[in-house]
Amino acid sequence: MRNYEIMFIVNPNAPEEEIDKINGQIETVVTSGGGKVEKLEKMGKRRLAYEVDKQREGYYVLFVMTANGDIIKECERRLRVIDAVIKYITVRTDEEARRVDKLRSFRQKRAARRGTSHGSGAPKESIEEAMQ
Amino acid sequence: MKSAKEKRPAGQKQYYRRKKVCKFCVERIDTINYKDVKLLSQFVPERAKIMPRRISGVCSPHQRLLNDAIKKARNIALLPFTTE
Repeated sequence: MRNYEIMFIVNPNAPEEEIDKINGQIETVVTSGGGKVEKLEKMGKRRLAYEVDKQREGYYVLFVMTANGDIIKECERRLRVIDAVIKYITVRTDEEARRVDKLRSFRQKRAARRGTSHGSGAPKESIEEAMQ
Repeated sequence: MKSAKEKRPAGQKQYYRRKKVCKFCVERIDTINYKDVKLLSQFVPERAKIMPRRISGVCSPHQRLLNDAIKKARNIALLPFTTE
């Protein structure tokens, strides 16, 4: 299982019930496939940076979930089918989280080695190495 | 250009340029999230192009993360591709 984020934009003219309906649909897809919805955030209406489907505004919804490829595939298919959804993006987050964990532990270890001084002015190369 | 102490022929004007530092290294920002429009828009000037490293001073690992984040944000209409 991997961690994903799906963010999608719903047509701002769509009624609130429709947004809830879409959210319910996605949620059932995730849970029935054995995944888990960790967070569901309705970010609300905001201005789009460019015109999408002749709309200048959009209703943003964010899903954070644990899922696998099949679930994501099905979610994306659903989002494509629903007319009210004008745009979506899926981002995998677990690799990034792992990278950050590694970086943090590296920093902690270095701070411990240096004793009281909190690792300021440390060799830059090693930080960059750990970030790869 | 980076080291101000570089030797120059006599009579030439000396420029002292403040050394640019990577904002993300200094503030210890580990993740650059595509949803953080406020942060990203600092690196997207008027024409909506991504600011080059030579101007912003961001280090290359962070610039790479920043590029990814900006491109994701553009995809979901949080940031513009171009200005109209």
